[in-house]
Amino acid sequence: MTSPAAQRDRAAPAVRIEGLVKDYGAIHAVRGIDLEVRPGEVFGFLGPNGAGKTTTIRCLLDLLRPTAGRIEVLGLDPRRDGVAVRSRVAYLPGELRLPERWTGAELVESVGRLRGRSDGPRRDELAERLGLDLGRRMRDLSSGNRRKVALLLAFLADADLLILDEPTSGLDPLVQHEFLRLVREAREAGRTVFLSSHVLSEVQRVADRVAVLRTGKVVAVGTVEELRGRARQRVEVWFANDPPASDLAGLPGLAEASVDDHRLSAVLSGPIQPLLEVLARHEVVSMLVEEPDLEDAFLDLYAEGS
Amino acid sequence: MNTRRVELILVPLGALRRSSLIWGAVLAAFAGVTVAFWPAFEGSSAISQAFDQMPSGLVQALGMQDIGTPAGFLRGNLYDFLIPLLLIGAAVTMASGQTAGEEDAGRLELFLAQPVSRGALFVGRVVALVIAVAIVVAIMLAGQLASDAAVGLELPASNLIATVLLCALLALMHAGLAFTIAGWLPRPSVALGAAIAVGVAGYLVVALFPLNATLAPWRHVSPWDWAFGGDPLVHGTDAWRYAALAAPAIALAGLGAFGFSRRDVRAG
Repeated sequence: MTSPAAQRDRAAPAVRIEGLVKDYGAIHAVRGIDLEVRPGEVFGFLGPNGAGKTTTIRCLLDLLRPTAGRIEVLGLDPRRDGVAVRSRVAYLPGELRLPERWTGAELVESVGRLRGRSDGPRRDELAERLGLDLGRRMRDLSSGNRRKVALLLAFLADADLLILDEPTSGLDPLVQHEFLRLVREAREAGRTVFLSSHVLSEVQRVADRVAVLRTGKVVAVGTVEELRGRARQRVEVWFANDPPASDLAGLPGLAEASVDDHRLSAVLSGPIQPLLEVLARHEVVSMLVEEPDLEDAFLDLYAEGS
Repeated sequence: MNTRRVELILVPLGALRRSSLIWGAVLAAFAGVTVAFWPAFEGSSAISQAFDQMPSGLVQALGMQDIGTPAGFLRGNLYDFLIPLLLIGAAVTMASGQTAGEEDAGRLELFLAQPVSRGALFVGRVVALVIAVAIVVAIMLAGQLASDAAVGLELPASNLIATVLLCALLALMHAGLAFTIAGWLPRPSVALGAAIAVGVAGYLVVALFPLNATLAPWRHVSPWDWAFGGDPLVHGTDAWRYAALAAPAIALAGLGAFGFSRRDVRAG
């Protein structure tokens, strides 16, 4: 039997942000974010540097106090129930500042005492998978190895929600691959992962849904597939005769169309179906549709309205 | 005390271990070197006469009255100014370093992301500082007692202990001020500078105000007067003087913890 409170807890979104605003004096770091992260999903939080990702994350942990708006983490208010929230959240900061004289093992032990749990076998397993020597002092570690220490702490915490801010910056591809495996394992174990990054490729490989942030606002939320649908793709069509310019004009999502002899070249955003319907009425010799470049798509989103 | 609270004390205490040992050794060495000159002062009429010829107000401002007695010698050379000020420097440096300094460097973030409250983290650092200052004065006192015995400087141990305790509490009161500032403002240089400035100003008040009849009664505003107004090396001290220093120290540190739990944490 689970208590009603526990049931309500499970149904609650892992993160709910309503109208979040954070100003630093005259600087508006976050300008009204609404967001919901579902329990058990991997949620990508994308945006260029300075978009407000870290500020939002630090509000979730009650390291920053919002100027306006409401935040719930695992059904709790981080301001009022900060300790309870943080006991169920593991956080990997983007800017890593670890105690210089400590060894990795000492840091793991200390954090374990603060969290009230220690798991030696799991620690050793994570250290091995990440290729990390826990006996070395922080000051002797490269930035990549320090990040591995922080990753180990995050995945060792046995938290319901992992908040990872730029987790793979400075990591070599092998470790990045291992990191993605760890994220998938966390999801399989029922944990929620909030993954912030300015690199789309790392997010699109694991995220169920993503939000794109630009200058303190969410400019798009959806699955990677939905965002892919919005992405621009280059289309080239070779016709047997002259391209049907009149039919193509005004076709939704078609832009930058140019005709060179029997060849039409254009950029398409959104669904391809309307274009295919037009083409079906004409004799097409060949056609080329480039895979949408998601990186470009996101750069478009970043740039929109700026 | 649970493991979490103990850890919140042990983390900053580990960081202060080395500096508290060094400060303690430096102050003990200081006391030892000074006391080594005691045999030259003891019973030397020439030095006493030299001070007798100076204006008595100035002699008192320099803390050099009765320089030929054991208590007067230690007061004039160590406990009137140098030791208290160095202890204030040590305590304030460690206090601002472990709060505003660590925050400014971005190193509190890791700990504040754990299931601990801001207040508990701050209080852990205050307790660590109290222990660190206790280590410093324990080493210093041991050095002082050993040097005194070595050169035959005789003084009631209770008076010396009371004086050292008052020095420690005076230092902790100034550390409390550094904690207040650090709690509200993550600027280590401001916390350090302001607390040291208050310490120096407090000394100038007790040293100089008595030279002027109008200002003389105002010397009581200085914490230095609360600590050493009763000349503890000669007469011992009253319990209220401990409380007069400890109470504001606790209140100021509490004010810092309150401020720290109400504001944004600096990312570094």
